Amino acid sequence: MDYSDIAERISRKFSQKNLTVDKAKTETRLRRLVDEFGILPSEAERSVTRDLEKEFNISPSSTTGGGGTGNATESKKIADALPGDWVTLEAKVVSLSTPLSPTIAQSGIIADETGAIRFIAWAKSNAPAMTEGSWYQIESAVVDDYKGIPGIKIHSGTRIKELDTTDPLIPVPVQIADLRIGVGSVRAKMVQEWEPTHDRMLQQGLLADETGTIKFVLWKEPGKERLVVGSVYSLFYGLVDEYNGKLSINLTTATVMQEEGDIPTVSGGEAAIRGAIVHIAPGSGIIKRCPVEGCNRALSRQNYCPIHEIQPKFIYDLRIKGWLDDGEKTTNLLLPRDVVEALTGMTLDQAQEIAENNPLGMDEVFLRMRDKLLGRYVLCRGREIENRLLVNSCEWVTFDSGEHAALLNRAGGVS
Amino acid sequence: MSMNARDMGKKETTYEREPARRVFSAELRECRYQFKEGDDEKSPTFVLLPSGERSNRVFCVGTLTEKQRQGDQNLFYRGRVVDPTGTFFVMAGSYQPEAMQQIAKIETPAFVAVVGKPSVYQKDPASSPLVSVRIESINVVDRETRDLWVLDTAQRTLDRIDALAKGEGNYVAKAKEQYPTLDPAVFRKMAYEALAQIKM
Repeated sequence: MDYSDIAERISRKFSQKNLTVDKAKTETRLRRLVDEFGILPSEAERSVTRDLEKEFNISPSSTTGGGGTGNATESKKIADALPGDWVTLEAKVVSLSTPLSPTIAQSGIIADETGAIRFIAWAKSNAPAMTEGSWYQIESAVVDDYKGIPGIKIHSGTRIKELDTTDPLIPVPVQIADLRIGVGSVRAKMVQEWEPTHDRMLQQGLLADETGTIKFVLWKEPGKERLVVGSVYSLFYGLVDEYNGKLSINLTTATVMQEEGDIPTVSGGEAAIRGAIVHIAPGSGIIKRCPVEGCNRALSRQNYCPIHEIQPKFIYDLRIKGWLDDGEKTTNLLLPRDVVEALTGMTLDQAQEIAENNPLGMDEVFLRMRDKLLGRYVLCRGREIENRLLVNSCEWVTFDSGEHAALLNRAGGVS
Repeated sequence: MSMNARDMGKKETTYEREPARRVFSAELRECRYQFKEGDDEKSPTFVLLPSGERSNRVFCVGTLTEKQRQGDQNLFYRGRVVDPTGTFFVMAGSYQPEAMQQIAKIETPAFVAVVGKPSVYQKDPASSPLVSVRIESINVVDRETRDLWVLDTAQRTLDRIDALAKGEGNYVAKAKEQYPTLDPAVFRKMAYEALAQIKM
């Protein structure tokens, strides 16, 4: 693993305070924590930063309130606000979200023409409640850094004054490849929907434009609507964070505007992969889907939808999830109903008949399909994004004597 | 600061699944060197193929000629899967319940496709090392699938030998170091003979 990026980031943090950090030493410290002690890189970054702060005898950057009394409050633009600063800002509240803890009175995002940043107002601060869409002068707030994302903390010493500015402040969306950790706005197409992995999750999936793809997540909150696959959106003020070196964007805080028309996306083109099916995943075969309009989620065996709870009037569907392997690379496969029917020769009606009358029920359909597909050579065509192939058509590979002859020549040719 | 085992597991979730290498039994049999990539307890173990590639998973198709149930407390199955060049020794233990159920219901002889993890082991220090494949899944297939596998495996084997000759690939140097006496021409001949066994 390369630690120079993290070391660079740490060094920049200190150079803001006119302190010089030995980058090679920082890298060695990071490497030791991550490689020898198995500490997550983000944790190692924080730990090394803390140690350096101690060495320089300065107060930790993530203390809230009391710590940084020596720092003077400066009038700043959001783009210039760095962790550890005490700042006075004039900004618009562009998003409010439900606070995650009773110690927080308000949380959301504020923006000015230079950028946007997360904020929280501590319950103890007794700060006046701010309204979404209004401008405020926020005097003497602290900038800190939570999980690598900068944020503004409004504490008891912060003074808030509403301004009569009516600047509409339209953020400029960037391309996916230009998104950075923090608050970001992007124009992108929703290209994939994945199953939610949490009860509180409304939707997750993949956004794409011509520069790349990014995972998105939307958490359940009143008024939040799901995105539709194939539609283009302007997404203002999402929270971009990083996990395992990959960025993802949380749109729960974002303003979502559906756009007309279409935009080009990466690897939107057709992919064709030939290989052997080496695994059929659980959740393949006949499944039950949530009948609620626009939901269509796979239900558990007990007919439980993560959003709409028990749904006895489910809809049956067929699908295969598995791995296709060509000996060099393994690709995640998703075969929808029509492809499953064509490939296995089992129709949805037949599968339903088995599911309802066979003693093994739905398992019997899974087992029959597995026995038919596992270890077989197929050619799958579809759209490949992020190592997943959404299959449009899938056919059995048949023995080609021309290929056989060519290989015999190749093997016997030189020896 | 410390991390518990569960967090380490989470860290692994974005890993890339290791491909199942196509290798004839006559080549797999020659593997002697296995190694770990990474220092983690859970880091995958690879065998080094003599043709210069690492493998922690293989896909093979052949004839299951015999299977044996063994053990009382720790029930497991052993089997022999024969390809045109020799025999794969496969096994499924109680840690692979699905694989065990799959092999239990197969009647020999039958063409089977096996996905599994290869490893080198020695019965005792005096005996010569053996390579066996711990089954992840096993399924009955037809002759055509077997023939397709021979083509596929011959092609991948020739690709590896060519890369070895050119010195390309991350594991070529290691293979030359670990298997100094093995002549790649042997594997070219093996691929030819495997192909020749398929009826035109």
